[in-house]
Amino acid sequence: MILYDYVLSASCYKIRLMAAVLGKPLSLRAVNFHPAREHKSAEMLALNPKGTLPVLQDDDLVLTDSADMLRYLTADRREWRSPQDDQWLAFASGLNDSLGLARLHDILGYEADIDAARASGVTALRELEAHLTDQRFDGVGFLTGATPTIADIACFPNTALAPDGGVVLDAYPSLRLWMRAIRSLPGFIEMPGIHRLHELAHPA
Amino acid sequence: MNWIAVGLKQDLPLGVVIPSRIEDTELAIWRSASGEVRAWSDRCPHRGMRLSHGFVRGNALSCIYHGWQYSENGSCAYIPAHPKLTPPDTICVPTYDCAETDGVIWAALQKPLGAPPAVSSRRPVRSMPVARSARAIAAYFNAPQSTFLEIGSDFDVALALQPCTAAHCVVHALAARGADRKAVSRWLEALRSDLEESAP
Repeated sequence: MILYDYVLSASCYKIRLMAAVLGKPLSLRAVNFHPAREHKSAEMLALNPKGTLPVLQDDDLVLTDSADMLRYLTADRREWRSPQDDQWLAFASGLNDSLGLARLHDILGYEADIDAARASGVTALRELEAHLTDQRFDGVGFLTGATPTIADIACFPNTALAPDGGVVLDAYPSLRLWMRAIRSLPGFIEMPGIHRLHELAHPA
Repeated sequence: MNWIAVGLKQDLPLGVVIPSRIEDTELAIWRSASGEVRAWSDRCPHRGMRLSHGFVRGNALSCIYHGWQYSENGSCAYIPAHPKLTPPDTICVPTYDCAETDGVIWAALQKPLGAPPAVSSRRPVRSMPVARSARAIAAYFNAPQSTFLEIGSDFDVALALQPCTAAHCVVHALAARGADRKAVSRWLEALRSDLEESAP
């Protein structure tokens, strides 16, 4: 399986992280998204006419939507799926359009109404925090239950990277504990801006 | 200023450090492996890195930058680059009074007068950022200057206010034991909307 990848992209990281925690190897092809705009090159447009990243290629199959990729990677791993995943994949897409856009504005100079992007990002974070707090009241730590699914993997990157877009996460305790649980998963990998746990997951 | 709530016990597991603040004072709140909670200045005396980015090992807090390790009283106990050196007493992190009562973590920037506020029979529900100053929220409830508001409501809610900036604070909410915490959560979110919409 080949992932056409850009290291700073939250959506590409979703796929790298998913594959890593599943223990599935990916061949990474680095695409110079910024500043060279290689994702719009003739070669990449032939693969993906939409000109977006990530692109996942498995023999003849080419996927260009990160939600489809998460579903594809977990097709044989039902423990990573829940009936509630679809609503959270849609929510994750909204995170990309708010927090993700604010981050691209701040780190790569994207055009954006930055105040509006941050404000809708905060609204989304509040919704996520409220839901995860309810989950904790029910004694579970992930979006759809006691174990993580593609819903968590989809929502994690843009949430954890929110500070890159000028949105602080300090006052969201349930988000912090949820992100910590994800960073504690066996096989977890980092990306720039999201580091592994330095503290011990289970201090003596 | 007296005892200020800076977090809830349920949100700070063993061996974890989190960032917090009281107005302009940035704090690293951390819980040692043996369960003690402490409130320190959030700067490593070495290079100024935020200690809340660091990590807890046993009963010490380590800076993420160069691994300088601070023992429970804030003094530097170990410098990895100079393993044979006993660090001088002058290398220490400013520490603040910190207490944990009734599931609430309290800190005081000046020597506190007495015990933290009595929460009576309530228990903590959740902490929530609000885009209003603590002062404005206290005024909204006709309790100017207060940082512990007993609101009442069906859930017998109390709010411990953590002043952050002129535009933000964190509200630590408690409610009657036995109250449905999800229902309290929805009530708090509606209150937050009212508070934020009442901004001038």
